[in-house]
This record gives sequence, C-alpha cells and structure tokens, in this order.
Amino acid sequence: MFRTLSRRTLTGVAALAATGLVLTGCGGGGGEPAALDTEEQITLNYTFWGNDDRAARYDKAIAAFEEKFPNITINDTFTDYPSYWEKRQTEAAGGGLPDVMQFDYTYLRQYGDNGLLLDLEEYFGNGITTDAIDESLLSTGKLEDGTFAIPTGYSAWSVFQNPALLATAGVEPYEGGTSWDDYNAYMASVTEASGGTVYGGTDTTQRIQDFELKLRQEGRQLFTEDGELNFTQEELAEHWKEGQENRDKVTVPQSKLEEISPVSGFGGNLTTSEMSWSNFLGGYLGDSGAEEITIVAPPTDNPDEKDLYQKVGLMQAASASTEHPEAAAAFVDFLINSPEVGGIFGATLGIPASETQLEGANLEGPDKAVKDYLDSIEDRMGDAPAAPVAGFGAIEQTFWDLGKSIGLGSVTPEDAARQFFDEASVTLGS
Amino acid sequence: MTTDSAHAPAQPRTAESGARPADSRRTGGPRPRRRNRDTVAGYVFLSPWLLGFVGLTLGPMLASLYLAFTDYNLFTAPEWTGLENLTRMAEDEKFWSSVRITLIYVLVGTPIKLAAALAVAMLLNYKARGTGFFRSAFYAPSLIGASVSIAIVWRAMFSTDGPVDGTLNFFGINLGGWIGNPSLIMPMMILLAVWQFGAPMVIFLAGLKGVPAELYEAASVDGAKPWRKFLSVTVPMLSPVIFFNLLLEMINAFQVFASAYIIGSGTGGPGGATNFYTVYLYTRAFANNQMGYASAMAWVLLLAVGVLAFILFRTSRSWVHYAGDSK
Repeated sequence: MFRTLSRRTLTGVAALAATGLVLTGCGGGGGEPAALDTEEQITLNYTFWGNDDRAARYDKAIAAFEEKFPNITINDTFTDYPSYWEKRQTEAAGGGLPDVMQFDYTYLRQYGDNGLLLDLEEYFGNGITTDAIDESLLSTGKLEDGTFAIPTGYSAWSVFQNPALLATAGVEPYEGGTSWDDYNAYMASVTEASGGTVYGGTDTTQRIQDFELKLRQEGRQLFTEDGELNFTQEELAEHWKEGQENRDKVTVPQSKLEEISPVSGFGGNLTTSEMSWSNFLGGYLGDSGAEEITIVAPPTDNPDEKDLYQKVGLMQAASASTEHPEAAAAFVDFLINSPEVGGIFGATLGIPASETQLEGANLEGPDKAVKDYLDSIEDRMGDAPAAPVAGFGAIEQTFWDLGKSIGLGSVTPEDAARQFFDEASVTLGS
Repeated sequence: MTTDSAHAPAQPRTAESGARPADSRRTGGPRPRRRNRDTVAGYVFLSPWLLGFVGLTLGPMLASLYLAFTDYNLFTAPEWTGLENLTRMAEDEKFWSSVRITLIYVLVGTPIKLAAALAVAMLLNYKARGTGFFRSAFYAPSLIGASVSIAIVWRAMFSTDGPVDGTLNFFGINLGGWIGNPSLIMPMMILLAVWQFGAPMVIFLAGLKGVPAELYEAASVDGAKPWRKFLSVTVPMLSPVIFFNLLLEMINAFQVFASAYIIGSGTGGPGGATNFYTVYLYTRAFANNQMGYASAMAWVLLLAVGVLAFILFRTSRSWVHYAGDSK
C-alpha cells in the first residue's frame, strides 16, 4: 500500500518533471537519457560508511570531482556500518535515499529488486565507461531488471598482523596458509608471551565469514542454490564450540572488545592478528596508528580445497529517485574509473575493478602488499558464492551478535545456534 | 494618566467578558456568536500545535496500529497477517529477555532514583548557605543526562582502567570494566538514571515547602523523633507529589533508549544485556526491517504502560492523601 506502487509512481512523476525541465529547451530526446548539463548548479548528496581514514580520502576524491565538474557540489556524510544501513532503511521507506551511495553487495538484492536504485546500465557508454571494468566484476551488480551498482574493487579473506606489536611480544609472525593448529599455536604464544596485555587474535569462530571459510574448506557453501541455509543447527553449535578453548585462554576477551567497539581488537592494538577482508588494510592502519601491517593467507587444513574467493564488497550506486540522474551517473563513473581516485584510495576500497583506476592507483607500500597477497592466493581462489539472499545483512549481523554473546558467556553455543536458526527462518521465510 | 488611557479601551471588553457566562446563559442572542469567534480564534492559535499533533503524532500512531497487524519490510507493501505478530512475540525469547531487562530497570531504578531525589530534596530544604548553588548543581544532570554525549562519557568512565575501575582498584575492588561485562552493565545503567534525580528533586522540594511547619511543631510537642516525623508527617503530606513523581519517572524509565543504544553499541551489547524494550523495538524496525513486528511491540508497550499507570492510580486511593481530604 505504501511503497511499491506510490514510490514508483512518484519517482516517475519526479523523473517526468525533471526531464520536462530539461527538455523544454530541446524538444524530445527519445529513450536516451539527457546529457549532463554543465551550466545548471547541481547539488548531490553522497553517503558512505567507514572511518576517519576513509573520510579523508573521500574528501580528496570529492574535491577532485568538483574541480572537474564545477557546477556540481557533493554533500557527503558518513557513519559506521550498522547504523549506515539503519539510516538507509528509513530513507528507503520514506523515499529519500541520497543521490549516490557507497553500497554493499550484501544489500544489493534488497534495494535493487525493489526499484530503489537507478539502473546504471542506461548510462553505460553515455556517462559511465565500462570498457575498463572486468566483466565478471561488473556483472555482480546485475539483477534481472538492470545493473544497479558497480563494484569499486574486490578483496579476499585474509589474516592481518601487526609487526610492531609482535616484536614487543617477541613472537615470530604467522607465515600464513598453514594448518589451523599452527595458527592457534601462534595466537597462544603471543598471548602467553605478553602476559595478557596483547592477545594473539580474535575468536576465529565469531563471524559468519569464519564459518563460511570452514565450510568452504570442506567443499561446501553457506547457502544452497535456493538460498536456504546449507548447514544444520548441530553443525553450527559444533562450530562455535570449537572456539571455546581459544576463547578461554588465548583470544582477546569479548568484554574488552565491547569497550572499544566499533573499533576492532586489531584496530585497537589489543591483538597481533585478525582475520578480515583484505580491503580493511587502510582502516586498520588508520585505527591502530601502526607503521606497518602485513597480510597473509588464512590457515587451512585442506590446502587443495578452493576455500577463498574474490569478494565484491564495496560498490557505488545511485538512488532511483535522484533528481539529477546524469550527474549521479557522472559521479559514479568518476569514483569507479578515475585514475585520480585510484591514487587517492589505493586498495582501501578493494583492488580497483577498473583497469584505468588500477593504473592510477599505482599501488605501493601496503596497497601493493594487498595486491601481492591476492596474487599469491591464486591457487586457493574458487568460485564466488551466488549473490547474497535478501536479508543476508540481517543474518550476518545476527550471527556476529550471537558470536559475541558466546564470547561473553551469556549464551551457550547450543542456545545460540537455536536462536540463529529461529532468526534465519523468520528472515528467509518472509 | 498614561496608565489610565492604556486601560480605558480595554475596559468595556473586560466588563463584557466578565458578564458573559451569566449573559449567555440567559439570552441566546448575539453572545454565542462572539463565543464562536473566540473558539475559532482559540483553534487558530492552537493550530501550529494541532497540525504537528495530527501530522506527526496521531497519523503515525494510526499507521503503526495498522502496521502492527501486518508483515511490513519497508520495501514492499505491508501484508495483512492478523495476530501473527502477537503470537510470534509470545514465543520470542529475545522479546521476553527485553521485557525482563526493562522491568528490572524500571522496578529497581525508579525507586532508587526517587529515594535519592527525596533525600537530597530534604537536605536542600534546610536554610543554609549555598543551597541555591547546590539546587542548581544537583538539577543540572537531569538536563543533560539523556543526551548522547553523556552516554559516551559514561562509556569511557566505566571502561577497563577508566576512572571508575581505577578508583575501585585503589580500594582493592577488582571488577574490571563495566561496559563489557553483561552483569555489571545494568547496575551502571541504573546509576546513570539515578544520577539524573534532579527533576524529581525539584518537584519534591516544592512539595516540601508546602508542608505546614505547625505539623512538625505539633509532632515535636508530642515528642516525635525525626524518623517518626518523616513517616507520619512528611510522607503523607508529600504523597501527592510522590505519586506524581512515581508515575512520571516510571513512564520515562520504560522509554529509556538513547543511553542504552549508545552504551550497548546499538546492538544490545554486551551479550544482549542492554537489549532494552525500546532498543529491541528499534533493532527489529530498522536493522531487521520488521516494521510490522516493531509496530506491534510499540503498541504492546503502550498498553502495558497504560495498564501499569491504571493500577498505580487505583492503588493511589489508599496511600495518597490530598490536603483537606476527610481521610
């Protein structure tokens, strides 16, 4: 009653009105979207999630864009990841999404399938250049009705380490890609050597990505092709139980992590290692203030299994209700393709998907380390899982919240697994 | 002279309106029309508030009443599901845990807060140097207490090695940080609420000023000790004010949100210990896209608070004494 119909109609009316204004001067323009007006003063709202480090980079990128398009002004805002989506959800319901948004693959289906995002395909070759973007990456933004987002780049799951902290603990870094026993031994030796001031790592069973990694190492996936959970409640409980020994003695106590949230244990210099997506490097450098952060492959007991994959994370998308779709498309194009933006962001939004941007990025230092890492794990890279089911964002968050609660001892792995299945059935069932 | 002339034009009007009630009852002539005009003017002056009330409160409330019986994910049109949200609520563990957390907060926090407010109000009721300053000083926290910045400051204060942990360590009490500890977060939340006792304190203070001194004198003559005087004079005479504060603070406590949201990082952390009713409602609505379920929760809260207020009103007959009552 509220959204689908009236939203679409409203969008249509708004688009008509806007086009009407543009067309009064030039008469019909066929199906082609109007070209970008370089005279009219345009203000676009842009929003992203991230930390200060990313915000500083965006400030530079926006300044460069405004220099190239003097008639366009970008107003940007940012928050942390969970509240970012709470805000977007409200705006989506109220019809007031920002013109252009940093987007996440996780939420693509939810927004794209409900007509909230601008179909960028209409601007391909006419505002947005796609020649330089890897075809398989570009297609991740494609749904049945069009292409609604373009990935900034890709990343892979990885182990980050802080050499300076390791040196104070006097422990050799984890070499990466070896057995789980090796990694566990490494974490234990750091925690022991430092006497509890610095920990070897964070609970490696807490996040849904941890579980996914384990499943993939057994040749399985998180979801079936129909978007159902591809594991049992008992298996999940078992997974969480496996982390108990580390939680008791080795990994950073969850209570300490709660205090520094939203900064992670690794970002807050509480741990010498943490597993995350490779594009987190920039954020970690900013959060921890460390001179150097190294990146190695996650442990595995089945080195032949293709457990890792190219993960499309960050994307850029525009709102279907933007009054200036041409300007929005131009900004998306700039963020995706511009060599200048590549130089500003390096690999912090993933290794750039666009060749032109990758060249401009001129990866060096930590960014080069990310690229080298991704090249080094070529053998372990398998097919990426299918596009996340609608509601995956909520499922991912529930998993993590329960993982944290287990760490605090306020719920048992069995109860947590039961609660997870209850939640998932509500989210996936509706 | 000037004052006279200023008053002069107003005079007939005052006379007229002064006579109005009697007049209009007697004659149905031109008076009611004037009254209508007054009514219209009244509504015109009310309209800014009225518009806000209808547009921003009543409308959304009715919409949420409808949504409470639907499955609405914010993206597609709401689907009528009847009472399904309510039956789901009855089986929802997290819902009941949020009810339990909120009830503990209300039932423990409110009495402590009121006791603190009354105690300090009685101290400040003595005429002594600097009471004016202390009144303001104690009142100040209640002005800023619910703000985001205070919640952030409290987060820092109660962290591991923060000021609170440090002080307790000095006295040999080693609790660690409160923020990350599921069993210490509730005491901290209650402390934060109690610390904002200024608003009820000011109301108590006004009430205390209204207790006739001769009652205390009479009690003294009868040989009553301070504690006796408190129980037999202060409390009964103050009971309407106690009732008022209790009602207000209880309703407020049910709605605690900002501080719980900030301190629990918005996810009800640590371990669901700050999963207050309103935080859970918010999570369902905006993080999980279950607006229908959240609307149903909002209405259940409204009804529950309404019922509790009603019970409080009923019991008040037996313990609230209004001055001049025959009881």
